[in-house]
Amino acid sequence: MPRILMATLLTLAMLLAAGGAAARPPEDKPAPAPMKIKVGDLAPDFTLLDFDGKELKKVSLHDYRGKKNVALAFYVFAFTGG
Amino acid sequence: MKAFQQNVAKLEAADTQVLGVSMDSPFANFNFAQQNGISFPLLSDRDGTVVREYGLEKEYAPGGVKMLSARRATFLIDKSGKVVEEQVDNDAIDPSKVVEACERQKLKG
Repeated sequence: MPRILMATLLTLAMLLAAGGAAARPPEDKPAPAPMKIKVGDLAPDFTLLDFDGKELKKVSLHDYRGKKNVALAFYVFAFTGG
Repeated sequence: MKAFQQNVAKLEAADTQVLGVSMDSPFANFNFAQQNGISFPLLSDRDGTVVREYGLEKEYAPGGVKMLSARRATFLIDKSGKVVEEQVDNDAIDPSKVVEACERQKLKG
């Protein structure tokens, strides 16, 4: 087998092996912090401000009680993607 | 938040209001919503009270400078105020599980 082909195959094999290793979950990764609020708990009520471009409006969780489900999505910061 | 916007019609059809929460100012949130076409309210928890109440405070230190923020998390809260589904960190980026859970809630009435 020509040397160059052999080298290419070897490199490929090494790349595949590295990829496989990367796909495995790291073993020393710390477990994520447990959640304070769990499924089945009553969601703590709150009142926060929303700005609609003209005025600041109060929005409370209890506004939706008995009317709608609420998908409450906490995000890290505006403009940071995700 | 963009992923939630893409699913907002499905969530609304399943009788669900989406509310975003972060520790940004209401004015930063407004600009963020405008730039990204976000139609649901983005609420400002400037001092982190609600973030702490939900146990989501997280310290970041970009460049060694400490900064408090919210941990990424989604809670689906039913009409009685009970948490029926929750997702945290990277699992909370894709809202499809929350959408499915809403649709199940809808079937239950």
